[in-house]
Amino acid sequence: MGGTQPVLKAIYRLAWKDVMADFRHRSTFSSMLFFSVAVLLVFQAAFEPDPREAQRLVPGLLWTTVLFTTIMGLGRVFQSEEENGAFEGLMLAPLPRGAIFFGKWLGNLTLSLMVMVMLVPLTLILFNVTLWSHVPMLLFLLFLGTMGLTALGVLLAAMTQTARSRETLLALLLLPLVSPLLIAGVQAMAVVITTGDLSGPWLNLLLIFDAIYLALAPWGFGWLVEE
Amino acid sequence: MNRLFALNRWLGWLTLSLLAAALWLVFTAPVDYQQGNSVRILYMHVPSAKMALFVYIALTLFSAWHLWKKSETADILAEASAPVGAAFALVTLVSGSIWGKPMWGTWWAWDARLTSMLVLLILYMGVIALRNGIDDPIKGGRATAILAIFGAIDLPIIHFSVSWWRTLHQPPSFGQASTGSTITGPLLPPLVWMSVAFIFLGTYLVILKAREIRGRKILENLETERTSHA
Repeated sequence: MGGTQPVLKAIYRLAWKDVMADFRHRSTFSSMLFFSVAVLLVFQAAFEPDPREAQRLVPGLLWTTVLFTTIMGLGRVFQSEEENGAFEGLMLAPLPRGAIFFGKWLGNLTLSLMVMVMLVPLTLILFNVTLWSHVPMLLFLLFLGTMGLTALGVLLAAMTQTARSRETLLALLLLPLVSPLLIAGVQAMAVVITTGDLSGPWLNLLLIFDAIYLALAPWGFGWLVEE
Repeated sequence: MNRLFALNRWLGWLTLSLLAAALWLVFTAPVDYQQGNSVRILYMHVPSAKMALFVYIALTLFSAWHLWKKSETADILAEASAPVGAAFALVTLVSGSIWGKPMWGTWWAWDARLTSMLVLLILYMGVIALRNGIDDPIKGGRATAILAIFGAIDLPIIHFSVSWWRTLHQPPSFGQASTGSTITGPLLPPLVWMSVAFIFLGTYLVILKAREIRGRKILENLETERTSHA
């Protein structure tokens, strides 16, 4: 236990630093939140669903909004390090590279989840959908999906951080790779809404995706930042 | 590597004669009793679909080799593979679309294989864009290699989930045509020859592109040397 305790603490500290710094001045959180509301507005203007259609559209709406919002947050994961030349400092920290990855991942995941907690009720209100009893299950599914999404996303953010037009590149790389996650998430959510059942093959696919990317992304990150 | 480039000229002529022979077989093969002359698109479509996947496997192997051994040759070959694979994926999609219009009555359907091939094309474009986006060639090469490997891990998941999605959602309405209609008799030899010719074509194009990339790298090195002396 003595061996893992400091590493876990370091992961937590790194995540806490990012979340706190964000609340103090970088304000990714509020941009993400209002961006997600803007996406909802765009959907409403584009499709004008009546409440029955809206109910059918909810899984797709939620996942697309989450995907776009997450991409926005991911674009900033390594931004402050890059701007202030602090990335080398972070890499010099006496920590395994995997721990640095998990710290950044946890910070980003926390911010994304806070956005989602507000996004789900907002979606139900704005689209006049009465699915209030499903909110915990919807949030749980979004939480599961976001774990894998941000694991892959933080790795791709690290990959593209020094690139020109990095945000466009990040979206171009992330969208095709997470398409299975999106399919599984939407299908699992549709099952929850129609039958109230939180199980089945799509949930398993979501879990498999999470497991693969949480296991492999730290390894990829280690290769990426190796000098 | 220089010897490889020297041999490539002969590979080019060999490819050309193979393609000519295969094309002759394609156009002398009898017409399909259901599809008529449209069946001839298949002789280009199937080999390029195979090559699009095959080149991605090669790209993954070059990438792993580059990461593991820090080999510059592997990096150049990986960079050369991406556009060639993308071209094959594009040919597959376009030829399939042209065939699909008269046969299925539609240019495009969200079928499992079509969707996977489209994702493969986007992935190729991402690999190319990532390398072009990073100025430092060493960092760019490593990032691209990692992306290619992650893509290779993701592709089976994509294919699996998309086919699952399509079969659970609604059965494809053109099942007989898309799920490997067994090809036999006089239609088979042109396909075999075309496939062999495409393997040679892919190899030739990758080596040709690798030669260009290496030439560019040598030129860049000379340029930095010149400016640092001046």
